[in-house]
Amino acid sequence: MPDFVWSSQSPLKKALVPGRHGAGKGAPGVALSHVSDIALVQVMARRGRNADVAKAAKKLFGAEPPAALKISSGKVVTLVWSGPDQFLAFSELPQTAPSIEQQEQAFSGSASLSNQSDGRCLIRISGPNARDALAKMTSLDLHDSVFPVGSAATTSIDHTAVNFWREADDASGNPAYVALVFTSFSDTLWHLFVESSLEYGVEVAASGTGH
Amino acid sequence: MRIACPFCGARDSGEFTYLGDASPKRPDAPIDGGVAVEDQFYDYVYLRDNVAGLTREYWYHGGGCRSWLIAERSTTTHEFKSVTAAPGAGAAKAKQAGER
Repeated sequence: MPDFVWSSQSPLKKALVPGRHGAGKGAPGVALSHVSDIALVQVMARRGRNADVAKAAKKLFGAEPPAALKISSGKVVTLVWSGPDQFLAFSELPQTAPSIEQQEQAFSGSASLSNQSDGRCLIRISGPNARDALAKMTSLDLHDSVFPVGSAATTSIDHTAVNFWREADDASGNPAYVALVFTSFSDTLWHLFVESSLEYGVEVAASGTGH
Repeated sequence: MRIACPFCGARDSGEFTYLGDASPKRPDAPIDGGVAVEDQFYDYVYLRDNVAGLTREYWYHGGGCRSWLIAERSTTTHEFKSVTAAPGAGAAKAKQAGER
């Protein structure tokens, strides 16, 4: 039997080139970053057990499961609506979110859990022109009146299923969005995000640093 | 064209796939029920009305919330009159569709 060495590496290892790209020299229109160290668990309520799931989520995360098309925030974990009676429990490491074992215990019998921490890649898009860049690839209406801070959607971007939500505005008051994409599609979508942002000037953060 | 998913709101039709007629009901009959039951199943599996007007159809929101839906659509104008969750979508109901 050969010995395997399982070393994890970023799915954007080749695609992500830090620094300033595209038009202009002033403040960039779009800021892009990859948050590499995440904890992500899909929680799906079992039939007729919604009330138990809500109770367990409140106790474990300090947040009720999100209403449809919304996120809800606990102390460390953000719960993102991902369909009827299901949500994603997301946190950025190294913050100490409840472990998968603790979650399994809390939702035992009431929900089915699936650890997606290495299955999805989290990309942040923010800046004064973030919405203009996103408008090229999503059919979602991202206007403030329709998609305010705290909104979430499961949708398709470039024929790829994406969990998408809007975080609190960045330090300059510009909108900030999060796209959670399948790891194996992240290279393609990353290129799409960069290409769509070039005309506004895009600042790419070094992998894992967020912003 | 947009389809109003009851869970997600109006979305591009490219997020949805069409399955077919939602009207046929599976015959509630024993498997070994003889020729009469065979005829019922033949109708259920193969025979469809070719309606000019409103039809009830199954659609799947695979590019979004991954729920099965039932849409009332006009085959002459392509207008979607209503879109509702198919029985058993989500986990809120205590029993699955067809379960007794």
